[in-house]
Amino acid sequence: MRPFLSSGPVAGRPDGDGVRPPPPSAPGSAMPFASPRPMAGPPVPGFRPSPVVGFTDQIRPGPPPSHAPPTSNNFQQFSAPQYSGPPTNPPIRTPPVGPPNMNMASPMPPNMPPPIQRPGVPAPTPPLTFRPNSQVPPQPYAQAPPQPFAQGPPQPYAQGPPQPYAQGPPQPFAQGPPQPFNQGPPQPFAQGPPQPYAQGPPQPYAQGPPQPYGQPAYAQSPSQPGMQGFVEDFSSLSLGAVPGSMDPGLDSKALPRPLEGDVEPTVFNDMTMNCSPKYMRLTTSAIPNSQSLASRWHLPLGAVVSPLAEASEGEEVPILNFGSAGIIRCRRCRTYINPYITFTDGGRKWRCNMCALLNDVPGDYVAPLDATGRRIDADQRPELIRGSIEFVAPTEYMVRAPMPPLYFFLIDVSVSAVRSGMLEVVAQTIKSCLDEIPGYPRTQIGFITFDSTIHFYNMKSTLTQPQMMVVSDVDDIFVPLPDDLLVNLSESRNVVESFLDSLPSMFQDTVNVESAFGPALKAAYMVMSQLGGKLLIFQNTLPSIGLGRLRLRGEDPRVYGTDKEASLRVPEDPFYKQMAAECTKYQIGINVYAFSDKYTDIASLGTLSKYTGGQVYYYPSFRSTIHADKLRHELARDLTRETAWEAVMRIRCGKGVKFNSYHGNFMLRSTDLIALPAVDCDKAFAMQLGLEETLLTTQTVYFQVALLYTASCGERRIRVHTAAAPVVSDLGEMYRRADTGAIVSVLSRLAIEKTLSSKLEDARSYLQMKIVKSLKEYRNLYAVQHRLAGRMIYPESLKYLPSYGLALSKSMPLRGGHADALLDERCAVGSTMMTLPVKSLLKFLYPSLIRVDEFLLKASSPDADLKNVEKRLPLTAESLDARGVFILDDGLRFVIWIGRMFPPELAASLNIDFASDLSQVNGSNNEMSRRLMGLLKKLRESDPAYYQFCHLVRQGEQPKEGFYVLSNLIEDQTAGTNGYVDWIAQIHRQVQQNA
Amino acid sequence: MHWDLILWLISLISNIVLLVLLIYQLICLSDLEADYMNPYETAANINSLILPEFGLQAAFCALFLVTGHFFMFLVTLPVAIYHARLFARGEHLVDVTEIFRALSVEKKHRLIKLGLYLLFFFLVIFRFPAGSISSLSIFSSKHGDLDIRSSFLEF
Repeated sequence: MRPFLSSGPVAGRPDGDGVRPPPPSAPGSAMPFASPRPMAGPPVPGFRPSPVVGFTDQIRPGPPPSHAPPTSNNFQQFSAPQYSGPPTNPPIRTPPVGPPNMNMASPMPPNMPPPIQRPGVPAPTPPLTFRPNSQVPPQPYAQAPPQPFAQGPPQPYAQGPPQPYAQGPPQPFAQGPPQPFNQGPPQPFAQGPPQPYAQGPPQPYAQGPPQPYGQPAYAQSPSQPGMQGFVEDFSSLSLGAVPGSMDPGLDSKALPRPLEGDVEPTVFNDMTMNCSPKYMRLTTSAIPNSQSLASRWHLPLGAVVSPLAEASEGEEVPILNFGSAGIIRCRRCRTYINPYITFTDGGRKWRCNMCALLNDVPGDYVAPLDATGRRIDADQRPELIRGSIEFVAPTEYMVRAPMPPLYFFLIDVSVSAVRSGMLEVVAQTIKSCLDEIPGYPRTQIGFITFDSTIHFYNMKSTLTQPQMMVVSDVDDIFVPLPDDLLVNLSESRNVVESFLDSLPSMFQDTVNVESAFGPALKAAYMVMSQLGGKLLIFQNTLPSIGLGRLRLRGEDPRVYGTDKEASLRVPEDPFYKQMAAECTKYQIGINVYAFSDKYTDIASLGTLSKYTGGQVYYYPSFRSTIHADKLRHELARDLTRETAWEAVMRIRCGKGVKFNSYHGNFMLRSTDLIALPAVDCDKAFAMQLGLEETLLTTQTVYFQVALLYTASCGERRIRVHTAAAPVVSDLGEMYRRADTGAIVSVLSRLAIEKTLSSKLEDARSYLQMKIVKSLKEYRNLYAVQHRLAGRMIYPESLKYLPSYGLALSKSMPLRGGHADALLDERCAVGSTMMTLPVKSLLKFLYPSLIRVDEFLLKASSPDADLKNVEKRLPLTAESLDARGVFILDDGLRFVIWIGRMFPPELAASLNIDFASDLSQVNGSNNEMSRRLMGLLKKLRESDPAYYQFCHLVRQGEQPKEGFYVLSNLIEDQTAGTNGYVDWIAQIHRQVQQNA
Repeated sequence: MHWDLILWLISLISNIVLLVLLIYQLICLSDLEADYMNPYETAANINSLILPEFGLQAAFCALFLVTGHFFMFLVTLPVAIYHARLFARGEHLVDVTEIFRALSVEKKHRLIKLGLYLLFFFLVIFRFPAGSISSLSIFSSKHGDLDIRSSFLEF
């Protein structure tokens, strides 16, 4: 590998090969420091490691830019140019300033090679030259050595730097060449901030080709109206030039559509030792270096973390046990050991990458360093090369013995629960899962059922039948036999099974319509408070007796549009918040399963999940004949997926940056400690960060997510994910490295939270304003040099932001007003969206629409076709064809849409029963039906977290179900909402105002 | 005459109590921020003090109305109305689940209230006593301030 991959020849240095970096051992070798090279002291703000991409703001008024960035910062090469390119003036530089070592702010004697390196590169592999920064003069000098500036393409952006390139001196260019970072080994910094000239052709798009910048990627979007003779750094859409005309003049085909679903950001992995984006995604993996820059980034600045995301095959997080030696952490900031720390002093000390404190390496962990400063045993130590790692925590990390997995069921047995068949399905499902519940043989289990009274079940292992105890005094609740209500599953297995067998029949003749939910919850809490665990609530009616009694609300359409509107979406009774807080305190996580066909006040019930790290499953109008599969799958998933118990999560980050708000289902236990009584792989949490200092002096910001939890096996573990992101001084760079998925995820959480305190309308306009402001700021970056009239410009990385924004404002929690969605559904979906990981959220917002009739009719081998079938279509009515069959898949449900002209006899052979609303497609024996089932199964496998319930819609019939499709065709103009084209036109108009 | 003095003492003492209650709440909030206290304790501590504070403040305000000190009544009225509003909306208690999100707002409100209570305090000390003391002296002058003064002089 060429060490200087980053600034290779492509990087605008035709003579690049002439300048070869010294052999890897160079760093230590005596550098001609004596040469009058300026050594910049502390890293100069004006000079930021920048990714090669982009070339925004440098101006070089004078001679045409022609200097090859001396990518190899060998000083020798400076004084005695070995460039094969045009002659270089020996740099005349002002007095040496200390070598900027990122780790050490203090200047070092110039002739002493700085100990090691940059935190980002603790262990470069041999071919990578490991080069201390300190040898590079980062300081801008007025008399830059005119180095041949080789790169060809005109640099249009050179003029008029719309934004100050860092806070550097006005003639940034002059200082020129030696931008140390681009020559680094392919490590984070190499792709740092904009190194305009260094890398010739702009590589504008953060999400461009996977190779960082090895190759020139020209950035025109396909829709770009015409090349203007140079490469543009942005994408654009041309809009009709007639302002105010009704026709936006926008070709709807050219609009960007996220048809590939979620694309994990590649820039995030620039930092090779970062954890996988599955676990953590930054909204932009470029941290602004100043508050003023951050304030120009109008989108959320933060991260979406999914600490337990399911690892793909072969990429499991390694589990390490340091035994009694303890886990190595920084003394001061408590950062865990990670790949970005650096070892010094012959391996006896290590420097924390977060706070730069020099720590001692424990005696038995010391290993010698090789010539590059890398530990010789690094390859054997996953904690030094992997971004995600799991430590087994010693006893210091426990406040009590690790708890056993505990599942407690609180089941409504009132008449509607029995009639709907919920009770039976639940009992069967629990029974069928008993073998797979994690944590054998320690698992504990218990049940309470309730209607207007509360029923406890003694399931002591010595009994043969469970003993039922009824407490009818719901005002003063007490727990009979507190010791035998929670039993060890493996010991009491028979009793539990016989209980589950008899449960449906026990209540089949009930006529009780009341629900003493609050008291029952309290009772469950009292039983569980010793241990904590997971509480699964099955609720079928509105709580009507005792504490936490709720009333019907939300029926009044007049409330919408007034200030009182938001109060419908928050819990009515403070009891729910208090219970949630108490449950979190005692490590009880609550999942709510709600089934009612009438209003059940999900807003209040959902609060229980919201603050305990749980989630809400909502099955409106549940009927076991129809929905049983969905409930079965989701309950089984809930019971059997790997769960982390009594967890706390904290995310640490480098100096100067601080996370200041968190969004998702959890409770904060201190300003930055997230309490999660039970958390699993399907949950994600979002957080926003802010700059604490007006100016960041570091060049990289590190993030470390640490989740301390008890695994089902009873081991206390710490899962640590580490990531790094460069600090940049250039707004364009932030846009280039933006991650639409993470941004949409954070924005949706913010918008949903906003609906809890203000009107839906406000939440939507908040969302729109965020998008408009960010695009306006982006436009300002380029407005000076480009003729932008009639064009809407946006960074390639955010090309889908408007479409997701539109989808979001049409999504269930935000859409319309009273009539557009049932209050319960709104709250339930809102609650779900607060927990969804990025990928699922994007799919939910912009569902995939695929055409399947050809696939169903063709008789070739099913597997080969599957790939062709999965071609997503734009979500507009034009994509639908009356002769076809389509499947709309939003991750939570399927809608099969059958066109009017689709031959009825074929439809019949699918064995679809249109009469029963949306019944299952029951697999009959014919080929088509089998294929359809196979396809659905395959689609379901792609996201096991939910069971996609299948709705069937025949075009023109069933207006209610037809709505499922229509409401998801988000690009169309439906009553009172914008279509995609109008939305874009509207955003464009707003962007142009005062622009 | 003594009534005025007693009134003055009562209002001074209740004002000091109000200040103490409020400052304690503020300390709880900053402890929470600094992670010396967990949200459960903080919320419990603060919430247990809120109703006493509201009640005392209402009494403080009513006391001036009853005794006819309309200026002081008007000055203390806005805070009483604010409290009544919070109470009526059920927003007076600190919400343990959202305490971190509400922290800065809660602190700001309490700091403003602290400023107002301090204002009351100075009013009580300077203005209000001016009335009562002058009424004291008027009273005495009616009955011969010379006597008193002379007795002072004599001693």
